Amino acid sequence: MIEAIERPLAAAASDVQPVISMVDVGMTYPNGKVALADVNVVIPPGDFVFLVGPSGAGKTTFIRLLIREQLPTSGRLVVAGRDLARLRRREIPRLRRRIGIVFQDFRLLPNKTVFENVAFALEVTGASRTDIRRRVPQLLNLVGLHEHDEHLPTQLSGGEQQRVAIARALVHDPAMLIADEPTGNLDPVTSWEIIQLLIQINELGTTVLMATHNQEIVNAMRRRVLALEHGMLVRDESGAAYEREY
Amino acid sequence: MRFIRFIGFAVVRAWQGFWRNAMMSLAATATVILMLILLSGLFIVISGLNSGLEFIERKVAVTAVLVDDLSQPQLDGVIAFARSQPGVRDVLYVSPEMAMDRLRENYRERGQELDLGGADIKLYASIEVALTDPTFGDSVASALQTRSEVKTITTKQASVDQLVRIIGTIRTVGIVALILVGAVVLFMIVNTIRIAVYSRATEIEIMRLVGASDSFIRWPFILEGILCGLIGGLVTVVLVAIVWDPIQPVMVQVFQMPTSVSAEFLATLSAIVLAVGLGVGAIGSWISVRSNLSAAA
Repeated sequence: MIEAIERPLAAAASDVQPVISMVDVGMTYPNGKVALADVNVVIPPGDFVFLVGPSGAGKTTFIRLLIREQLPTSGRLVVAGRDLARLRRREIPRLRRRIGIVFQDFRLLPNKTVFENVAFALEVTGASRTDIRRRVPQLLNLVGLHEHDEHLPTQLSGGEQQRVAIARALVHDPAMLIADEPTGNLDPVTSWEIIQLLIQINELGTTVLMATHNQEIVNAMRRRVLALEHGMLVRDESGAAYEREY
Repeated sequence: MRFIRFIGFAVVRAWQGFWRNAMMSLAATATVILMLILLSGLFIVISGLNSGLEFIERKVAVTAVLVDDLSQPQLDGVIAFARSQPGVRDVLYVSPEMAMDRLRENYRERGQELDLGGADIKLYASIEVALTDPTFGDSVASALQTRSEVKTITTKQASVDQLVRIIGTIRTVGIVALILVGAVVLFMIVNTIRIAVYSRATEIEIMRLVGASDSFIRWPFILEGILCGLIGGLVTVVLVAIVWDPIQPVMVQVFQMPTSVSAEFLATLSAIVLAVGLGVGAIGSWISVRSNLSAAA
């Protein structure tokens, strides 16, 4: 069923510690619904991976497990070197600082400026003002919004709001950036701008995992694709298209 | 340094949260004030009555009026008998002359002069028995009643019993009222914090996702509840301080509260009011945070 099964095995055998390692991971909800079944995935540092599949295939559960919002009901899941089943509750925040996440709906605070939205992520983790003053402009520069730092989210376009969300996701210099349908609310041109930004971030060394329904982007990018269907990983292929090509 | 930043963050967020949700916060604070005013009133009344009770208990509990013209041995005998009774702390012989002096003194305290119109009036001699505990009153009175030297017996037992009953009733009614109002206050604070938590669900979710620790997420809400209690406590302390000026003389003169106690009374009451205000705020918000935070985001 899994065509490119040699890939995770090869990565697991290498000396580089993977950012994500899933071994026979399963997730069954209390109502009996199987959201994920026996998923085996290894994502090495620096990879750019698309997570595709129809609605209800298990993409959201996949992401929720990675950020330790839920624990798998079976299998072993290691993220950024931490076995999530053994992670104590008070260690979860530290794990989440190693993972940046952005969503389709941006999830910005409407009453805070661009600068404050990004700074908030540092402030709530106890960063000093000096760190905040140093780090936020760097990130706004990276996403091309340094001139909009005093604007409120409502004064920005969708693409700009997503850039703010990306800047916020990167404040702790995470090992991995998870983007859950980041272009879902954006027009094609803006979507490509966001993809270009994600590629740039990936080239700077951050692993990127992007869940998407956008076939055009996946097909054009030709990156590694993880395809889920009915909770099962049906494809793990490098340089792949959105749908099976053979 | 990190801890100081955490405290600063939590306090600022609590303050912002209090005013962002001003209607509910002020309503909760008003109920805290209501409860603390009730508590203060109860404390003042019960303290006053207790002082009055202590005053009565300190005074002579059993007075035995003696028959006229007792010989010295008879007098010594009845005094020794009184002293030998269990529960007797002290026995004072009041001669007819001393009794007359006291009567004159009583008149003088009321701004009058005792005028006997030249008559030669002789008051009865008596012995005044102070007790270690007012419950011995009845047994000492009965024992003295058996003595031929004793003409009549008067006790303060009835008034002590009555006062004890009044204090008990006020205390019970007050505590029940306090518990009921306390429950309303807790309910208000729990709801205020619940609304605060739900109105900031997006913020809480973002905080979780960017790796904020539980303390950073929870403490601003707990402090917001404590703030309701603290503001309520401070307002009540100010109100009590304002009304204390006219109340203090009543406590001293009517309830016989010792001056040393009344001088410290306001400080003691303020400390109690602030502690209860802070406590109820903290408990209410803690309950709310525990039950609502994980559900909100």
